[in-house]
Amino acid sequence: MATAHGTTDMIVHDADDPDVNRNRQYVLVAAILAALTALEVATYLMPKDLQHTAVFAVALCVLMTIKFVTVTLFFMHLKFDKRFLTVAFYSALALAVAVYLAVLATFRFFWPADQMIPR
Amino acid sequence: MASATHAAVTAPDPDVVHGGHGYATNTGISNTKLGMWLFLGSECLLFGGLISTYLLYRHPAPGTGPAPSELYDIPFTSITSFVLLMSSLTMVLAVSALEGGDHFKFRLWTVATALLGSVFISGQVYEFTAFVHEGMGFTTNRSSSAFFTLTGFHGVHVTIGIVMLVSLLLFSLRGHLPRERAEVVEVVGLYWHFVDIVWILIFTVVYLIPG
Repeated sequence: MATAHGTTDMIVHDADDPDVNRNRQYVLVAAILAALTALEVATYLMPKDLQHTAVFAVALCVLMTIKFVTVTLFFMHLKFDKRFLTVAFYSALALAVAVYLAVLATFRFFWPADQMIPR
Repeated sequence: MASATHAAVTAPDPDVVHGGHGYATNTGISNTKLGMWLFLGSECLLFGGLISTYLLYRHPAPGTGPAPSELYDIPFTSITSFVLLMSSLTMVLAVSALEGGDHFKFRLWTVATALLGSVFISGQVYEFTAFVHEGMGFTTNRSSSAFFTLTGFHGVHVTIGIVMLVSLLLFSLRGHLPRERAEVVEVVGLYWHFVDIVWILIFTVVYLIPG
């Protein structure tokens, strides 16, 4: 049977079983995601004046992006599937990001708060 | 007529594995899976619009009530976010179990995923209720409207995912979900993981990055 992971016609219960190895990989990925989430939440405990800096927002966005890409690669199988699916999904995502960054810029979202529309 | 009937019978089903090396489609990808990925691509635009709207309206007009950011309970939301993240693990383990032909584990992980999703939704209902008791309803101000619309839409997506999971479970219990149809579960799994990654965005952009 062809699946996202290739042909799996036999069920073998030993350490070399690809299903077992794959499941271990999933658990490892989940542990990494949990650690990244813990790191994100830990930033909430930082001093408030530090939380309002651009560096803080960028760091959180980087962590968010890592988590996002990790889930799509491993849990959604883009790493193992046809490249066409990666191109299709990330093209749509890039379009969405570009469109809404333009919208935010139109409303002066990236300007100082008193110049933003709506006030 | 006879030959036409014969052709209809022997014509390859584009969604059936072709020689064990892919699908008999132009892309080599099953139509079902491709359709789901394209749908998820369109969902990026939907949630992008909702997140952008929230960012633009996150500060309420003066004197119109509290902003959502004043009422967030970050430790509580962190726990529900973690629960949803872990439901992605149980979902992928359910897909893996059915691909391996283990129906018992498939049902176990599917139930676990649906339960974790239900815990997340319960948390969201609790959060919404707490906000309303604090004086921030859907129409209190532009900020609350944008917040409830964004997180409410996400909650509806999670609820639809739970319904799909329960449907899969019922199909499996009635014997309508053999190992050969594992792709159906994988496609539902794609939807579930997407709901998870949308929450990864919402949790960071809406809850963690201060306004």
